[in-house]
Amino acid sequence: MKLLERILKYQIITSLCVLTLGAILFYFSVNYLINQEVNKELMHSRAKVSWQLRHIDELPVYILQLGDSLQLDPVRYPSKMALVERKLFNAFENEYQPYRQLIFYERVEGIWYRVTISKLLDQRQQLLEAVVMTVTFIVALLLISLLLLNSWLSRRLWQPFYKTLRSLDSYQVEKHEVLTFSKQPTVEFEQLNQSVTQFTDRLAATYQNLKEFTENASHEIQTPLAVILSKIEGLFQDESLKESQLVALSEISEAANRLAKLNQALLLLTKIENRQFLAGTEPISLVPIINRKLRDLEDLIEQREITVQTAIEPTGPVMHPALAEVLVNNLLTNAIRYNVNGGTIDITLHAGKLVVRNTGVPIHIDPELMFERFRKEGTHSASLGLGLALAKTICQVNGQTLTYETDGPWHILTVTWP
Amino acid sequence: MKLLLIEDEKALATSIQNYFQRENFICEWAADYRTAVEKINIYRYDCVLVDLMLPDGDGLDAVRELKRNFPDTGIIIISAKNSLDDRITGLNLGSDDYLTKPFHLSELNARVQAVIRRRSFQGSQQIRFGKIQIDPQEHLVLVDQQEIVLTRKEYDLLVYLIANKNRVLTKESIAEHLWGDDADLMDNFDFIYTHIKNLRKKLMDKGCPDYLKSIYGVGYKFSEQ
Repeated sequence: MKLLERILKYQIITSLCVLTLGAILFYFSVNYLINQEVNKELMHSRAKVSWQLRHIDELPVYILQLGDSLQLDPVRYPSKMALVERKLFNAFENEYQPYRQLIFYERVEGIWYRVTISKLLDQRQQLLEAVVMTVTFIVALLLISLLLLNSWLSRRLWQPFYKTLRSLDSYQVEKHEVLTFSKQPTVEFEQLNQSVTQFTDRLAATYQNLKEFTENASHEIQTPLAVILSKIEGLFQDESLKESQLVALSEISEAANRLAKLNQALLLLTKIENRQFLAGTEPISLVPIINRKLRDLEDLIEQREITVQTAIEPTGPVMHPALAEVLVNNLLTNAIRYNVNGGTIDITLHAGKLVVRNTGVPIHIDPELMFERFRKEGTHSASLGLGLALAKTICQVNGQTLTYETDGPWHILTVTWP
Repeated sequence: MKLLLIEDEKALATSIQNYFQRENFICEWAADYRTAVEKINIYRYDCVLVDLMLPDGDGLDAVRELKRNFPDTGIIIISAKNSLDDRITGLNLGSDDYLTKPFHLSELNARVQAVIRRRSFQGSQQIRFGKIQIDPQEHLVLVDQQEIVLTRKEYDLLVYLIANKNRVLTKESIAEHLWGDDADLMDNFDFIYTHIKNLRKKLMDKGCPDYLKSIYGVGYKFSEQ
């Protein structure tokens, strides 16, 4: 819900409460005044009636105002004077209407009479109607004006806020941009913009530092590794070395090679996580990548007698081509590495979905755990344990999802994208 | 053949120099950008190996300088930076190859020879070793003038072995040359052995002596002795 809508909600609730309370208060106070007035009039009538009864014995027709009625009933004993309210049938209006009655007792020529003066209370009904109508009108007016005000506010006053929001939305730290805004008359928005500018400034600087650090760290590690490997290779050419020494040297060389690969893979992972590979805007077709990769891996596939079945359509997600390469490469090499000899690989590529299924040894842990770094099932010493972690990271930064399921001997890796 | 190595890491430079000296190449060394530019402008080289990160400058500037003055010189960038941008910039500037550190010296050697071969005149493009003659443009392999049919991998392997003749080649370096990043897919190196065995058989079937020697625990050596 928009802030303005929420404010509007509270404004409406508050105004409704206040108006209802006001209406009730208004009703009661006016009603009280009317009652007072009616009572006063009834008392006046009583005085007139009593006087007439005592002095004239006969009541003139005009004595009471129109709408009031007078009733005389002879009673045996007098009682206390009473003011009551009751609904009486009005034959003229053909409905029950509220009346206020003053009942008192008067003795005329030795006989007690109960005198009842009834006064129609139609003002009260009119008042209620007037109050309800006025309140409804005010509420409607208030609602319309609040809505108009809000849309105007969101167009005018909130414009800079939405502008800031839009630029934050499209902000990409990889582009090293610092968001700057024009000066705002509203203090809060000006503060917000300044904070955003400072924040993105710091972010860009930190990001740049981090990027440089990873690059430099990689450089610093690769160089000594290059020295180690080159020295080993030089030593291999020394014909005076004994066989046992050569074997040891070979093992050192293998470990150093592995270290170099690990460093490169971690560097790539960091780079992807730092989003240094920006996706383009157009989807890229995975078909040529898959075909090229299958051709590269041809002899490996043949050697392990793996059958490859493909059902692929020219489609693919929006992503950096280099990442698409790495993703396809990792999925396919994973399907080969963890396959069984004489196994099968199924590759299906349709709109929004790439599925790589391979036969393999069943795993005994949650397949999703295979996406963790350095997680290996079994002892594939040649594997770095980073392949699927890399694939997962690539999907994460690009808005694709990667899932790992097992179904009997089948290992199924699925990439889906919108 | 004359090479210039622009590399600030002395230990690595020495290894590379030693390696190429055995190949009877003259390999000069420049430890920084200033020396490199001086040397580039005074002498002629067949191939220049450039490290991108130098203490006093950017190796890419040296590449530009070379391309401007001596466009015929082969250039190979050797860099610890594996960033795509640098690779593309380097190749766009006209360098012939880009090798990421760390690399096998045998791989560097094979690449240097390939660059020199591509840049030299038609006649000397042929690769010869003992009874073997290779036309790299046609991917044609002849033994005593008879053609032998090799698979792509076997061909690559043969060229690589000849480029690094008389040297001990580790199995990793061969695997990496043939399969690049996929080399770590091989849990053991039996796979190389299959290729080696096939190649050896094809060569010997045409009357080649057994040039390929296996060095226990390490790898292979291709030599005439």
